[in-house]
Amino acid sequence: MRRLMAVLVSLGVAALMALLGVARAADTPREVPLTIEGNRFMPEEIAVKAGAPFVLIITNKDRGPEEFESRDLKIEKVIPAGKTVRLKIPSLKPGTYGFVGEYHEKTAKGRIVAE
Amino acid sequence: MGATFVVTLREAFEAALVLGIVYTYLEKIGGRQHYRYVTWGGALGVVASIMIAVGVGFLSGPLLDLGPDVVATGVIFVAVAVLTWHGWWMQQHARAIKGEVQRRLDEAQATRRLWIVALIAFTAVFREGTETVLFLWGLLAQATDAAGGVASWSGVAGGAIGITVAVGLGWTIFHGGKRVSLQKFFSVTSLLLMFLSAGLFSAGIGKLQGFGLLPQGSIVWDTSPLLSERSFLGAFLSGLVGYRARPSGVEVAAYLTYLLLAAALLFGHRWSPVRAADRLDPA
Repeated sequence: MRRLMAVLVSLGVAALMALLGVARAADTPREVPLTIEGNRFMPEEIAVKAGAPFVLIITNKDRGPEEFESRDLKIEKVIPAGKTVRLKIPSLKPGTYGFVGEYHEKTAKGRIVAE
Repeated sequence: MGATFVVTLREAFEAALVLGIVYTYLEKIGGRQHYRYVTWGGALGVVASIMIAVGVGFLSGPLLDLGPDVVATGVIFVAVAVLTWHGWWMQQHARAIKGEVQRRLDEAQATRRLWIVALIAFTAVFREGTETVLFLWGLLAQATDAAGGVASWSGVAGGAIGITVAVGLGWTIFHGGKRVSLQKFFSVTSLLLMFLSAGLFSAGIGKLQGFGLLPQGSIVWDTSPLLSERSFLGAFLSGLVGYRARPSGVEVAAYLTYLLLAAALLFGHRWSPVRAADRLDPA
C-alpha cells in the first residue's frame, strides 16, 4: 500500500512537471518586467493585451523575500531576496486583476489591466 | 502588528486544526503511545519547510520558476488524498466501535495505519510551512535592519502571536475533543475534514488554473467587500471550510464535486433519511 502510494505520488508530480514544461514550451509570450523595491511594486499598473498569455519577470531588489499573490489569478509565487522569477500568466479576459505582495500587503499592491 | 498577526494565523491555522484533530483521534482510540508519529510528522514538516525556504534562495532559472509551484501543488493533492483516506478509515472504525463502549482499537491494525497519521501531520504543516518561514524570515531581516526600528519588531511580535494563537486553537480542539463522546467526535471531525479537504481540493484546482493548465473562467460571486479572505474571520473560514471571496466556476465545481464524492464514500453505505438527520445534528 505504501509503495503504491509512493508510486502514485511520484507519477502525479512527474505528470505535473511535464504539463508545466509543455505549457512553457508551447508559446513564446511577451515578457513584462515587474520590480519589487522598498516593499512596493514598480510599476503598480501593468497594461496587457487580453487573450494573450505573457510572462512577468519579477525582480526582488529588497533584502527580504516577497510573495507575489493574486487571488484573482490564483497565483502565489515567492521571490527570494535579490532574485528574479519568471512567472507565466495565462491569457486573460478583459478586466482588472489585483495583486499584492503578501508579506507587505499594506504597501505592495498593484494590478494588471487586460484590454 | 495586526497585519502580520493575521498572515501567520491564516497560514498556521489549518495545520493546527488538523494536528489537533489527529492527536484527539489517537487519544480517543487509546493510541496515546502513538502521539510521536504525529509529532514526528509535524516536526519533519517544519524541518522540510525551513529547508525549502532556505533552498529557494539558492535556486535560480527554471528550477526557481517551477520547482516550488510543483511541490506546493503536489502537497495539496497528496493532502487531499490522505485526508480522504483517513476520513474513510475513521468511518470504518466508528462503525466497528459503535455498540462497544470505548473499545481499544486493534493494536496491529492501528500500527499499520500509523504512517498515514504521520503523513497527515507532515502535509498539514508543510503545506503553508515554507511560506510562513519565509514570511517570518523577511520580518526578521527587516527588524534587524538598522532602519527597521520599533514598527518592524512589532511586526515580528504580531507574526509570533499569530502562530501562537493558531497553536492555541489546535490545543483547544484537542482538549474540547477529549470530552466529547467518541461517536460524536467521529461524526463532527469526519464532516469537518471533508469540508477542509473540499477546500484544499478546490485550492489545488485553482493552482492549476493559475498555471494556465485549466481555463480561468469567470468569477461566480464576489463577497470580498463583505468578508475578505484577508480578514480574521475570512481567514478562519478559508482554512476551515475553504471559503473563497472570489471563486471561479471551476473552483466551485471542484469543491462541490469533491463534497459529493466524499459524502458518497464516507456516508453512502449507511445513507437513510433518519441517519442523515442524526448526522446533521452534531455539526
